[in-house]
Amino acid sequence: MTSTSRVGDQVRAAKTRPARARSNRGPRAGEGRWALLFLAPTLIGLAVLSAGPILATLGISLTKWDMLTPPQVVGLDNYANLLGDDRFLRALGNTTFYTVVSVPLGLTLALALATALNQRIRGIAWIRTAYFLPLVTSATAIALVWLWIYSPTGPLNDILAALGIPRQRWVADPTLAMPSIIAMSIWQGLPANVIIFLAGLQGIPAEYYDAASVDGAGRASRFRRITLPLLTPSIFFTGVLALIGAFQVFDQVYVMANPGKPGQATITLVYFIYEAGFRNFKMGYAAAASWIMFLIVAVATILYFRTQDRWVHYQ
Amino acid sequence: MTARKLAKRVGVYVALLLGGLAMMIPFLWMLATSLKTRAEVFSTSPLSYPTGLHWENYTKMWFALPSVTFGTFFQNSIVIASLATAGQLITCSMAAYAFAVFDFRGKRVLFALILATLIIPFQIVLVPNFILYRYLPWPFSESGNWIGTNLPLWVWAFFGGAFGTFLLRQFFLTIPSELADAARVDGANPWQIFRKVYVPLARPALATLAIFQFMWSWNDLLDPLIYLRDLPSYTTTVGLAFFQGQYVGKWPEMMAGALVSLLPMVILFLIAQKYFVRGITLSGLKG
Repeated sequence: MTSTSRVGDQVRAAKTRPARARSNRGPRAGEGRWALLFLAPTLIGLAVLSAGPILATLGISLTKWDMLTPPQVVGLDNYANLLGDDRFLRALGNTTFYTVVSVPLGLTLALALATALNQRIRGIAWIRTAYFLPLVTSATAIALVWLWIYSPTGPLNDILAALGIPRQRWVADPTLAMPSIIAMSIWQGLPANVIIFLAGLQGIPAEYYDAASVDGAGRASRFRRITLPLLTPSIFFTGVLALIGAFQVFDQVYVMANPGKPGQATITLVYFIYEAGFRNFKMGYAAAASWIMFLIVAVATILYFRTQDRWVHYQ
Repeated sequence: MTARKLAKRVGVYVALLLGGLAMMIPFLWMLATSLKTRAEVFSTSPLSYPTGLHWENYTKMWFALPSVTFGTFFQNSIVIASLATAGQLITCSMAAYAFAVFDFRGKRVLFALILATLIIPFQIVLVPNFILYRYLPWPFSESGNWIGTNLPLWVWAFFGGAFGTFLLRQFFLTIPSELADAARVDGANPWQIFRKVYVPLARPALATLAIFQFMWSWNDLLDPLIYLRDLPSYTTTVGLAFFQGQYVGKWPEMMAGALVSLLPMVILFLIAQKYFVRGITLSGLKG
């Protein structure tokens, strides 16, 4: 094709040219049909794999269905039963506890770490790599390692023993189980949050700090008056993703407390849905539970967005 | 440099190194424990060095399960993650191109809809998707449908995705439209412009998407747990979780398994660190 090499030349030529305003972006003949062609896989996926199923879940949640016999319509029975189901309420409580503790704590720690890592010193790249390593490792493998760290003869108990503190049962202890899982999740979630905060920190113009220093502002006041306000968009953004992610916690719980070992101390919403739907084949019940979870996440996200005006400063 | 400044700088280094160590310690313990004997794990302090390097734990782990080796899990994970990555690269770049260069009715609404799926907890579709795959026929599986095969773990990837579409659209918008105009003058149709101009220029963004999708598929636990039924079809994560249930207390082997399972991702990370960082900063999405 002769046009191809010409295109290649144009690409090379234009690479050196600055991007100009899009002049020729008006509707052109046949664009709609081309767009449909390019979007076909996405549209099918949206209809069959996400939008459709979200509505289907609502329908299924009104039935009793074990997948062996035809579904029976039972109205809102599943929802009523869920609200009276101790195990579901525990799952809801545990997930809420996990979210409320791990999100603010994780973000605060990440902010502190990002501030510390935002230094222009030699070797910082290597140190950053060490900090970012937990990012790519599966929660499954990480949970195994922490299971060992928390085990009766594991490192954590050895440290406690050396300090004269009695050994704890951690994930096997009903009260300590959830905090133990939270500690691990915060450790694993840190790198991603640190990366976002670092990007935010590096976007703050140095002149702001210089000006503040001239005015005699100290380190703490510079952080409070400049860094923190200018970082609020990053904090807001990270917060919403952390919130939604926390509600979906599953892998750690599955590996460390399978199946909700210390009584019901560690079952979470997703664990409950998994158990009801794919172990007990109560499809209607699982669907109802996932709709409740969806509503909770939606409401929490909307409420969180409502707070935006009060504390997020956009430049 | 004054003495005070020097002391401060040393302080920062020490604090950063200690923090880095804290992040690395679980990995170091994993490595140390994987090289100890089982007796050693229980009798000596976990904080001690292994007395000898018992690499045989890795062989034991590899061949621990009766009918399959850990290599089978690896192979399954690689096949699923590669197919899912290919699907996302092809269909997300197509959708992103449509959003970046075409004008059509309903464009804004459709894009908003796709972005909305980013913040919807995907568990909402677990049940209906399971039912869908249950009714899709497949002659080669025991069930006669898609349950028990790896199809539900990668076929979806050939039907677009919010993260990839968003990421690539942002990148495509930075490509000067003169390039496309010039190609059009030369008689290229939109598909040729997409293939010869946009895709080659978007290589860095495509690499970012590829790495993230590969990592997500590799690390996923819930979906393989739901859809895979027999041991030879397990991925590394499900295999590892299964292994843990079977070999309670065999810490050296278990740590060896965990370490081997995350090695590919760690190597990928060390090679392509900048793409990981860029992807997270651009989208805020986590591993």
